[in-house]
Amino acid sequence: MSKKSRPVGRAERAAAAMHEQQQQERRRRNLMVGGVVLALLVIIVGGYFLSRALDTSKDVQAPAAGGSKYGLTIGPDDAPHDVVIYEDFLCPYCGQLEDASRDDLARLAADGKVQVEYRPFNLLSTIGDYSERSAAVFAVVLDKSGPDVAKKLHDLLYENQPSESGPFPSDDDLIKLAVEAGADEAELKKGLAAGDGKAWVGDATQAALDAGVRGTPTVLLDGKVFQDGRTMDDLASNLVDKIG
Amino acid sequence: MATRVTGWLGLLARLVTGGVWIAAGAVKLPDPAQSVDAVRAYQLLPASLVEPVGQLLPVVEIVVGATLVLGLLTRASALVSALLFVAFIIGIASVWARGITIDCGCFGGGGYDPDAASKYPWEIARDGALLLVSLFVAWLPSTRLALDSVLFGRVPEPEGP
Repeated sequence: MSKKSRPVGRAERAAAAMHEQQQQERRRRNLMVGGVVLALLVIIVGGYFLSRALDTSKDVQAPAAGGSKYGLTIGPDDAPHDVVIYEDFLCPYCGQLEDASRDDLARLAADGKVQVEYRPFNLLSTIGDYSERSAAVFAVVLDKSGPDVAKKLHDLLYENQPSESGPFPSDDDLIKLAVEAGADEAELKKGLAAGDGKAWVGDATQAALDAGVRGTPTVLLDGKVFQDGRTMDDLASNLVDKIG
Repeated sequence: MATRVTGWLGLLARLVTGGVWIAAGAVKLPDPAQSVDAVRAYQLLPASLVEPVGQLLPVVEIVVGATLVLGLLTRASALVSALLFVAFIIGIASVWARGITIDCGCFGGGGYDPDAASKYPWEIARDGALLLVSLFVAWLPSTRLALDSVLFGRVPEPEGP
């Protein structure tokens, strides 16, 4: 009996040892996989924080509405809210935002609930010179004909916004829009010929970049970058809700 | 014999998809703000998710690319890669269907692009092909020159009598 059981016992012991070894191997393997997964997660979380640190789009240190030399302000100084919109007359999203927010912002400004400053600059210079030319005409009109006429031109420029792929309105077309808004044609042409507009646009663009603005439209509500919205329509209605 | 060939094909597939991920992530990583803008332009995610997704995406792309190239956790990485391609295909198809014309932002860039509609079919085809390659890698039990086989080895098979 005992003689017979010995070899069976040996085989069982061998099998048990093998089993134990396999289990150890499996444990080691699971630990390794867990360790690698953990290491990868650490890398991803670290990378995320690096990425967040590199994203400076919310670090905009801009003068409050009514406080810049390069903008058009509507609404009273003592309004409880302060909105600044950095924009480019060619940027399609600026056109969408303008379309969705103009009437409400104008109404709220008239009611004294908000002061809004529109700050056009030349962001899309790589596409062509329309951004610069349109902003230059706007600048001269603002300087010579005042904010009311400049606001009308601002609105007209967006209503007649060309596609980013052209064709682009000529200077004469832009002057025609300005005259439609109520600008004095002779004064405007004189200002443009003297290069006043382009100088203003250059300075406005530098001021925007210095403030940390890196895209358009950049909307600031009470000094903070406002991006709450899936679409420009959402953004506009959320902005209006916050103010009104 | 067949497994030997597929093992080498698996290596090739890993290098192709992994290389694409690394390139796509590396271009975006230095400018996360642009990546966030590109995600925003799809008008798909709620505003609160746009920023974390845009910032995280380049990092995840580089990590998935690196694990695929190295052959680290190969099958899981290939599955993640496949899921990302499915998400991108849905994203591009959705902007196409909604008539939104944007640069897909696949390799940096992003935002409005008037000529986008003509590029969508090719972008979807490219992502579809890379999706299939990823699934092929995930389907293979093992591939050649993978870090997995060095690190984890194999659980020893029970030996014969």
